[in-house]
Amino acid sequence: MSPDLLVALFTGAALFGIGVYGALSQTNLVMLMMGVELILAGALVNLVAFWRFLHPDSYAGHMFVLIVMTVMAVEMAVGFGVAIARFRARGSVEMEEARELKG
Amino acid sequence: MISWQTFFMAFFGIAAIVFGAAVFVTSSMMRSALALLFSQTALGAMFLAMQAEFLGVLQIMMMATEMSIMAIFMVMFMMDPGGLGDMDMSHQKRLSILAGVAAAVFSAVIAIAAHWPAGPETLSEVASAGAQVRALGVELLGRSMLIFETAGVTILTAMIAATAVAIPPLQRSKAHES
Amino acid sequence: MSLLVVVLFLLSAAYLVAVLEDRLTNGRWRWLGPAWAGVALLGRESTLPRKPDRLFFETAPLLLLVAAVLAAAVLPLAPGLVIADLATGALFVNAALAYVLVALLMAGWGPDGAYALVGGWRFLGQVVAYSMLIVMPITAVAMRAESLLTTDIVVSQEALWNLVYQPLGFVLFFIASLAVCFLPPFDLPTAPGELAGGVAAEYSGARLAVWRLARLVLVVALAAATTVFYLGGWLGPLLPPWLWSVVKILAVSAAMLLGGHYLPRIREAQLLAWCWKLGIPLALLNIFVVGVLVLIWT
Repeated sequence: MSPDLLVALFTGAALFGIGVYGALSQTNLVMLMMGVELILAGALVNLVAFWRFLHPDSYAGHMFVLIVMTVMAVEMAVGFGVAIARFRARGSVEMEEARELKG
Repeated sequence: MISWQTFFMAFFGIAAIVFGAAVFVTSSMMRSALALLFSQTALGAMFLAMQAEFLGVLQIMMMATEMSIMAIFMVMFMMDPGGLGDMDMSHQKRLSILAGVAAAVFSAVIAIAAHWPAGPETLSEVASAGAQVRALGVELLGRSMLIFETAGVTILTAMIAATAVAIPPLQRSKAHES
Repeated sequence: MSLLVVVLFLLSAAYLVAVLEDRLTNGRWRWLGPAWAGVALLGRESTLPRKPDRLFFETAPLLLLVAAVLAAAVLPLAPGLVIADLATGALFVNAALAYVLVALLMAGWGPDGAYALVGGWRFLGQVVAYSMLIVMPITAVAMRAESLLTTDIVVSQEALWNLVYQPLGFVLFFIASLAVCFLPPFDLPTAPGELAGGVAAEYSGARLAVWRLARLVLVVALAAATTVFYLGGWLGPLLPPWLWSVVKILAVSAAMLLGGHYLPRIREAQLLAWCWKLGIPLALLNIFVVGVLVLIWT
């Protein structure tokens, strides 16, 4: 196993951890989405590292990276759509106030 | 002796982590959004260090616009976008820190403990950037064509859905009058 | 070596663009005008606005300069005369130009001034309008060259320049490149007479000198991109290749400055409407037509 793979995986792990912290701790929808973006970024590093250091001949890894980037873009678009609708209806996108669905 | 590749990967990796952490440390929303942008850009540079040139440049390109748009939504929707009022915008702090640290440590431990198969050791064993672009194109229009098409349709659907959700509802009373 | 040559070329071309811009505003040819103006700017005090975001305020002009130079770095002036002949060159130009937006947002937010802020966010809307018109014509160019290498793109125009092969793409790219370097009629972020300088309003002294230089280099970089993608780069009879590149790049920069000079400034909403309702369908049509041409004409 090459040490470079570990460098990349540790970076991915750290970004994943920061992202989880952000997604759980932030009260604002937009900040929360930034946490999710960081989680996905961690996944991206791992995918590229697996392609480079384990299977450089398989371009399905590249494909997976493109799909994750798509997911990031889609998450942003839908998230902001929801944010706009909620802001218009309730005047804020604070997650503490979004308790309508709580039983 | 560490190789240049390891050095640059570690350098940009650490830069990505530092900027990523800065996202949740700073109280100015603009700084927060641009920290995320530079975290993603550092990742793109790390991809370049890992010889994935196309993906690196794509990451650097996409994230610039994406995170700038993030920035305007931050400024629009946060109560204190300039960060001058020292508001605390977080909740369940202890649980979040525990979960974040646990997630990072858990992934790192798995990365060390797993039995990774032996991969290529030298730089030259990976295809050149031009060959990679070509191979990715063949992959896109070959085996992965259906997946790629699905991704495109997903983006289109998301665009339409997001626009439909975001446009203001019709003002009933005004619509009545006209 | 080629790094030095290209940077020297960018600087001298930027100087000539500055002379022309001076001519357009003042009505006189002053060949030493920009030099004196530059020296004067360096000598003046560079004031700091009250309560700035210091980090953004200082970084923005430099980031604009770096983005412009990076965009020019992958564009060849002659065979072998290119800083980095990347295998993803055509994509890299897009990536570098995307950071123009980041620089303008920083410059808008940094100084904590109303005009700068309005200008910065305006440019975000402008990017949403024009970015597809940069990417899609380049896609069509790369389709013809069957490569993302900028040198291959030039060689692919040996028989026929892309200007003739895909005129629609050229028009769209030219208009979008005016919007990238916020030249009139797309100077929404600076908007003299309405926003009082917009994003550049709070800059003075040495910082303003860097900002103006960056903007001029950006114009030259976009002109170089137009030359490489549509005007056959260094190709041409008689003259040496590098001279052809220089002549074409200067001509395109002059056209970019003159083209918008006589037009009224467009409104943000109109720009968005025109770009999305007319520009993007035309860009898609361009890709389709080029695809058909590539298939039947090899």
